[in-house]
Amino acid sequence: MLNKKAQIGETLTWIIATLIIIGVLVLFIYSSSLLAKTKSLNILELKMDSSEEVNWVEAKTSFAHIKSNNLNKEIIDNWINKNEK
Amino acid sequence: MNKKGAEKILSVYWFVILILVAGGVFAMVYLFYNHPYDIRDLEADILSNKIADCLSEKGYLKSKIFYQGSFSLSSENFLNKCNLNFESKEEEPQYYSEIQIYLFENLNNPILEILNGNKNLISSCEIQNENYQKLAKCSEKKFYTLDAENNQYLIKILSIVRKTEKNVK
Repeated sequence: MLNKKAQIGETLTWIIATLIIIGVLVLFIYSSSLLAKTKSLNILELKMDSSEEVNWVEAKTSFAHIKSNNLNKEIIDNWINKNEK
Repeated sequence: MNKKGAEKILSVYWFVILILVAGGVFAMVYLFYNHPYDIRDLEADILSNKIADCLSEKGYLKSKIFYQGSFSLSSENFLNKCNLNFESKEEEPQYYSEIQIYLFENLNNPILEILNGNKNLISSCEIQNENYQKLAKCSEKKFYTLDAENNQYLIKILSIVRKTEKNVK
């Protein structure tokens, strides 16, 4: 009788251990699927990683301002920075 | 005898656990790497930059675009002149680009408008947020440039990339 009780206790330990392993696995699988959804690349993130931030289009505007001696600079910059969409 | 039986059961159990853990790791890797990167924002930005590069250099309109007071660019020859290729494996065209060139004196009406690609994609630009990932991605850029006579031009470029199937799951 005593021997049987010890066996029940041991089996219970294994069952609980198995359930914990399955639980941890499910948790990790779920979190990896959540992480997968957040995967994206955008230019802002790339800019943060790079030491030199180069915006080609802004550089073109700056060049033109220099060549035109900043003629109508404020109006032009306001038009460029205006968001329409 | 009884002890040997228990050991056998235990070794089977360990094999089951091993398969379970290996399967779990496989599932994690599969789920993570099977999800594609959404690079459409980046692609639309790059397309806009390429078009800007095609139109202007060092603050001046390029001579292949603007020569002796007139633009040689049109919707028909735009792809050719800018070395762009909007073809894709999908049946429906996946790109759209729109260029509007304004003279500084009249910022309400463009003096030149170039449209190319799938016009149905324009409506996607009205809704650009994370809840509508399956819509096409848009990138709008504006810049300022001069011609050889120092006339001032403002250029607006709109680039749209669809490619939903390859970038969103």
